[in-house]
Amino acid sequence: MVAPGLAEIFYYLGFIVVATLVPIIALFLIVTPRDAKPSPMKLETYEAGQMPSGRGRTRFIIQYYPYLLIFVIYDVVAMFLFAWALTLRTLQPPGSGTWPILIFMGVLLVPLAYSIHLASQRDLW
Amino acid sequence: MTSPLFFKVAVFPGLTSIGIIIALFIWLDRKITARVQLRVGPLYASPLGGVLQSFADLIKFAFKELFIPRNADKFFFVAAPVLALIGGAGLVGLIPFTPEWQISNLELGLPAFLAFVTLSPMLILLAGWSANSKYPFIGGLRSLFQQTAYEIPLWLSAIGVVMMAGTMNLIGIVQAQSKPWVIFLGLSIPGWYIIPQALGALLFFITATAEMERIPFDLPEAEPEIIMGWQAEYPGFLFMSAAGASFVRLYAFSALFSVLYLGGWMGPAPVPALLWTAIKIIIVSSLIILLRATFPRVRIDQLLRAGWTYLLGLAFLNIVITYLLVVGPRI
Repeated sequence: MVAPGLAEIFYYLGFIVVATLVPIIALFLIVTPRDAKPSPMKLETYEAGQMPSGRGRTRFIIQYYPYLLIFVIYDVVAMFLFAWALTLRTLQPPGSGTWPILIFMGVLLVPLAYSIHLASQRDLW
Repeated sequence: MTSPLFFKVAVFPGLTSIGIIIALFIWLDRKITARVQLRVGPLYASPLGGVLQSFADLIKFAFKELFIPRNADKFFFVAAPVLALIGGAGLVGLIPFTPEWQISNLELGLPAFLAFVTLSPMLILLAGWSANSKYPFIGGLRSLFQQTAYEIPLWLSAIGVVMMAGTMNLIGIVQAQSKPWVIFLGLSIPGWYIIPQALGALLFFITATAEMERIPFDLPEAEPEIIMGWQAEYPGFLFMSAAGASFVRLYAFSALFSVLYLGGWMGPAPVPALLWTAIKIIIVSSLIILLRATFPRVRIDQLLRAGWTYLLGLAFLNIVITYLLVVGPRI
């Protein structure tokens, strides 16, 4: 006998396993009875009708890199806010968790505003 | 083998129904877009205005030759769209269509859903990288940048619902919306969160559309710019998986929106609960499809800028409004 919450997690994992098996079996059923006729032209990558030239994984502009950096840092904030939001109704006295979260957000949001300001300045990047 | 759980996994909220509903959604998408643009859309595949067109397309795709580009990383090239399809099915497994018709009632249903969603840009980047071609690679990178723009506003707009309901369980969230509000003279309206959470619902709608990568936010695909982007190299069945995955996410997000903001399966009694869920899902998904038919595509720098300034700011404003509604003006 397992706890009800744990059983639900097992149901979910079971569903994922079944959902994984179905497309894989479908893929094998589709691939096996086929006679493939590969040709060199067919196996080239698409480049708007031209013969592909150069590397496929080209160099790319890292123009939006600052946003990626901010994202890595601030994505975790949402998780802390979820924990606070969950206890908002049950906390006694009501609203007693607000000052800590306000200080926490204040500490995090001031650097966030500054980094967004910096991210918009193209010359820096 | 005919236990309710097996039926649920295999048939109704589970795999068979997901396949059929996705085919119907693809038909709805084509039909609505056609009507907006004064075309007819699919017409001949059945007496009912071409409902069976998607099924015909499915058979056609299944019989296409599967060829993989010469320089591609074969394993990940095949795995990425299939994993995207599985990830979409995993989202549907968390949705309560009614209290009985749900595969898995996780206590942390809402964060589990949102966490599962974050996998899809990774898979798109994987698909773009493994194809070893220019357009898919650009599409994959765009997907990565786009994620940074919508991800945090998406989570923060969902926090408003958790603050109102006091639970992250999706069934609990629907049950918290069951009490109607009396305005005056005994006149009452349903207590759905679309009213106190109007701003949050709008933000969730916008960011969910960005997550699904549908127009106006379909930068990773962008047919006129980068020729279907990350899907450019996919043949036959794999293209069907890649394109179908976005429709599975459309289905899952419409269902989640109706659960979070539109009272899920609740509605006046004579109509069965499951039918209410279906009606709400169809309304929300039709709205998302209408966006596709009417809006132009945003530029990626505009999206990033708007995501980090307007959307994030409005999401924090929504949290403040919700705090005033729940706790009142005191700290």
